[in-house]
Amino acid sequence: MTGPPGTLAARAGAPRSFWSRHRETIVPFLFVVPALIYVGAFAFYPAYDAIALSFRTPILSFTTYNYQSLVGEGLYSWVEATLIVTAGALALQFGLGLGIATLLTQTFRGKAVYGALMILPIGIATVVGAYTFSQILPPQGGYANSILALFGAAPVDWTSPNSMAILSVILADSWKNFALVVIILVAGYASIPRTLYLAAAIDGAGPIRRFLYVTLPNLRGYIVIALLIRGAQEFNIFQVAYVMIPGGPTLLTVAVYSNWEDVSTFYQATAAAAILLGIISIFIVAVILIGGRRR
Amino acid sequence: MTKRRKITASRVGLYLAVIVTSVFVAFPIYIIFLLALVPTKYTIYSARPPLIPPTISFVELQAAISSPGFAGAVSLSLEVAFMVGGLALAIGIPTAYGLSRLGSRLAYGLTTVLFVVNMMPSITIAIPLTVPFIKYGLYGSPISIALAQELLALPITTFLLVGAFQSLPREIEQQARVDGANRATAIYRILVPLIAPAIVASFLLAWMLSWDESTFALILGNLNPPTLPVLIFLSVTGRGNPTLAVAFSLIATIPVVILTVLLQKYLRGEDLASGIRG
Repeated sequence: MTGPPGTLAARAGAPRSFWSRHRETIVPFLFVVPALIYVGAFAFYPAYDAIALSFRTPILSFTTYNYQSLVGEGLYSWVEATLIVTAGALALQFGLGLGIATLLTQTFRGKAVYGALMILPIGIATVVGAYTFSQILPPQGGYANSILALFGAAPVDWTSPNSMAILSVILADSWKNFALVVIILVAGYASIPRTLYLAAAIDGAGPIRRFLYVTLPNLRGYIVIALLIRGAQEFNIFQVAYVMIPGGPTLLTVAVYSNWEDVSTFYQATAAAAILLGIISIFIVAVILIGGRRR
Repeated sequence: MTKRRKITASRVGLYLAVIVTSVFVAFPIYIIFLLALVPTKYTIYSARPPLIPPTISFVELQAAISSPGFAGAVSLSLEVAFMVGGLALAIGIPTAYGLSRLGSRLAYGLTTVLFVVNMMPSITIAIPLTVPFIKYGLYGSPISIALAQELLALPITTFLLVGAFQSLPREIEQQARVDGANRATAIYRILVPLIAPAIVASFLLAWMLSWDESTFALILGNLNPPTLPVLIFLSVTGRGNPTLAVAFSLIATIPVVILTVLLQKYLRGEDLASGIRG
């Protein structure tokens, strides 16, 4: 690969020296190859295929018909709802996660039990969480209204208007997923040297200034990671919206599923799936740029 | 005196925050139990469901367990989850070993690839996958669901195992090689036993991701029987009996809650963070 090209000696010598110089790279790399083949076949190829299929119909080999038909069905409102739910759920999870991770840096009675309780929702299946919230926040009745009734408040329809439905979806999704933010930020807190706080305290910084000038800058990398990991998943909210509010806000994922269920709109489903992939890809590229710059 | 009052006030604030967040997290879990263990006329068919159950019954649970679809769903879920756990180790151990021995630049690039896979939308991947699965007669088979769900499990188990391999001193492997073991023997006889706890944790984490997963299982399964989460999904979206779904939910939840508590110390932010930091 390197070395003066053209001469026979260089050509004959190159492979051996390449092997001996890069042996410690090639052998470990071979261990990674099966995983690369697997993700190539089962993730990257289907992703490409989704895009390829989205420009086809049973009779046409290249057309933008699927996309045009989605626009007619309300594509823009699906994208809007997806972006609002993603941003809202991410903000709520992040706020909860940061608050709870901060609580877990303190000492208090029952902290071990509290820590275990906080991560429990990770273990509860998305579908189960979705159905449970559909019983807590239904159009009428439901457990949230039972609580309101204790205080003599009037019952609320948690699924209408649309903005209320979106809030309900955001709440249910955040309940299920905020714990991952907690786990990442707890690791971030553990990475901050205690001496920094001590030094700040000696310099007379109170708790708020210590948080702003010591905690936040040192947590920054972990905050970025938490937002990225959760952010990419927020675009995928599906069961929560579909189970909680039938006929509610149509997210892109819900549109993909409904089109796929109807065999006659298979290709429209792939078009909606391709748009979802496109939006997430923009997000992923942003992630890699931010993540790469931090190194 | 004022200082002590200030400290007391901040303690009160702390406990208040702990109580409020505990209620927020625990309340829906309480409702899962309530829905499964209280007659439906006091839960999903009540206009104002009581927060304190007037009575407890195991009728729903018994009906759910003896319902025709239940045994098939549980056995399919178990089969797929064990496949996902096994595949996570079969692919994840060599991958993690390779990544832990590669230069940081290449390792960062490859880790980024796995990270990207983890962020891809399941539903976008699942729909095109139906085409080759149908073509090769795999559609609806447990292995096809497992191969798709592995996309969610492999990156996370790999990150966890990379951390475990990196925590071992390099000298251990070098010593084994000097003593005449080839690389494969050194890995599987010497290194793997040393990271056994991380391997068990990886297997259980992958198992758990599969047990909870419903998008791939819904689209790639033939639904005859569906997996347990898909059975719940179908039951509550008008294609089954919602009164059974509440009991299915409790049954699906219990093993995972136990695993989550057991795995608590392995759910480490550092490993997840390594996914982006390389």
